[in-house]
Amino acid sequence: MSDALSDDGSVNQDDSQEDVMTPAELIAKLEEAWLNEKFSPELQENKSEVVECVMEQLTHMEENLQRVKKGDAKASIHRMEIDRIRFVLSSYLRSRLQKLRKFFPHVLEKEKSRGEGDPSLLSPEEFAFAKEYYANTETYLKAVALKRMPPNLQTVDMLKAVPEPCLDSFVFLRVKERQENILVEPETDDQREYVVDLEEGSQHLMRYRTIAPLVSTGAVQLI
Amino acid sequence: MFCEKAMELIRELQRSNEGQLPAFNEDGLRQVLQEMESLYEQNQTDVNEAKSDGRSELIPSIKLRHCCLLRNQRCLTAYLYDRLLRIRALRWEYGSVLPANVRFHMCAEEVQWFSQYKKSLASFMRSLGGGEGLDITQDMKPPKSLYIQVRCLKDHGELEIDDGTVILLKKNSQHFLPRWKCEQLIRQGVLEHVMS
Amino acid sequence: MDTQSYLPVKPGVGMEENFLSLDDILLSHERLPIRTECSFPRLGFLEKSSDSHDIPEGTKMELPLWLSKGLYEKKRRVLSVELPKVYREGWRTVFNADPNVVDLHKMGPYYYGLGSQMLHFDSPENPEIAQTLLQTFIGRFRRNMDSSQNAYNEDTSALVERLDCLEKALFSSGQSGLNSFQSWEKGRASQLTASSLVLNYRKRKINDLQP
Repeated sequence: MSDALSDDGSVNQDDSQEDVMTPAELIAKLEEAWLNEKFSPELQENKSEVVECVMEQLTHMEENLQRVKKGDAKASIHRMEIDRIRFVLSSYLRSRLQKLRKFFPHVLEKEKSRGEGDPSLLSPEEFAFAKEYYANTETYLKAVALKRMPPNLQTVDMLKAVPEPCLDSFVFLRVKERQENILVEPETDDQREYVVDLEEGSQHLMRYRTIAPLVSTGAVQLI
Repeated sequence: MFCEKAMELIRELQRSNEGQLPAFNEDGLRQVLQEMESLYEQNQTDVNEAKSDGRSELIPSIKLRHCCLLRNQRCLTAYLYDRLLRIRALRWEYGSVLPANVRFHMCAEEVQWFSQYKKSLASFMRSLGGGEGLDITQDMKPPKSLYIQVRCLKDHGELEIDDGTVILLKKNSQHFLPRWKCEQLIRQGVLEHVMS
Repeated sequence: MDTQSYLPVKPGVGMEENFLSLDDILLSHERLPIRTECSFPRLGFLEKSSDSHDIPEGTKMELPLWLSKGLYEKKRRVLSVELPKVYREGWRTVFNADPNVVDLHKMGPYYYGLGSQMLHFDSPENPEIAQTLLQTFIGRFRRNMDSSQNAYNEDTSALVERLDCLEKALFSSGQSGLNSFQSWEKGRASQLTASSLVLNYRKRKINDLQP
């Protein structure tokens, strides 16, 4: 997907100590994040630096395209490439937004209880959206019904009312870095817990809960 | 039995398939709230009697009424919340302006909620990528080609495409247009994507 | 699926209920046979067969699940809940013999949901009830999955009429998977389509016009 990008060297314009990423690596990162987000039941950590870089790259490609003559066959290939990258990016942001709206009280709670140095679950714009969504919904429920109810019934605990993501759902995954001794919980009363090794390149169907930490470190890829 | 009115509201939504929005049932809502008020008053009376005259045998009835109050609260909240989910989906289907026949089914507070939601969504999209902005209500399906064949299902007037060309979208006319220009119009049922 | 369309709040899993789920609210409206273990003063009007002022202790009546659950206490006996017939031993034997012959729509339609909810009431038969629920589900699952994966472009009403609500939901998710696969195979997955809501509203408009 990244051939059309390679006319530009690296994405990182300022030559600081940060890792320099090629456009191909950047798009691979986006695809990784996209698939993980699409297939995991809960919201993943935000990748706003990837989003920003991809958007920069898209603008850059658009500009390049302006310079190409009309009717050039190369132009339509580039145009297609831009469209495809924009689709992946939009789809990625949409699935995050969908989870934000579905689990908003829990997402905000998790963000609140996050430790000082922990990475933030939400990008600043997502955080703003979630907060507004919470307030808007609460205001609405109050105005239409709750404030017209008897005094002891005028609040609903949104954390209890809105269901949590189901971490026990099953996901398909491919192993990128070999893992040893992954503890698998028993499925039925007559089973015992057991450990498995996950070989690099192998594919599995497992409960999300079991491998959630491996998704965020990038050791496994949801597929 | 208590809470029958509240159940009616729930059934009404369940009967409206595929996320359609039935008319806001203000009357039903009011009746449930009335029932809650009278349950509450009855309980106040019984609680006072139980306290002052030591009539603890009233407690089971108080508890029963309280269960009914909670049930009514749950049903109303679920009714309103489910409607929000339906209204929210409309933003993606219709774009930011809802057709009159849908708006007609919403109560004033729902209209308000919706316009606030639209605002939040818009400022979210505007601030993406460090303020550059990206409309994520577009590009709903992976692109397979730049141009697609479309047929007009109704008269829509003029449409301007990138290079400045203006095209008249007349009922039953067919065009070969850039895909991203058509997406929204197809979702709204103005154009139809013709597959070869 | 990359959909932004309407997705209702899902029902809870197992013994859980989701507060905002319409399905769970409907399920918890199912009526259970109960016996009052104390009197309920000033609520006699709830019991239609009598015209007394109170509901006396020892009255047999039916209450919805939500109310039975709300009133039920392990320590202080306010009411005792009887098992609905389908969960009693007689029917359990039938289910265990061949789960595929029973019409769970008629006997339910919340056979699994209500059965799981019954576990909230400390019946000595709870382990057997849970076991029967699980075995019945397993016993019927294969046929349900097969039929949802093979019925393409045909009337499925006969296939689903004897299914419980949970099974119906599984059947339709199987169907939607099958349909997406078929449309992908035909190269139609990339076709842009009008939203189902738009189509529905248009259909309704046409119906409105007809006298």
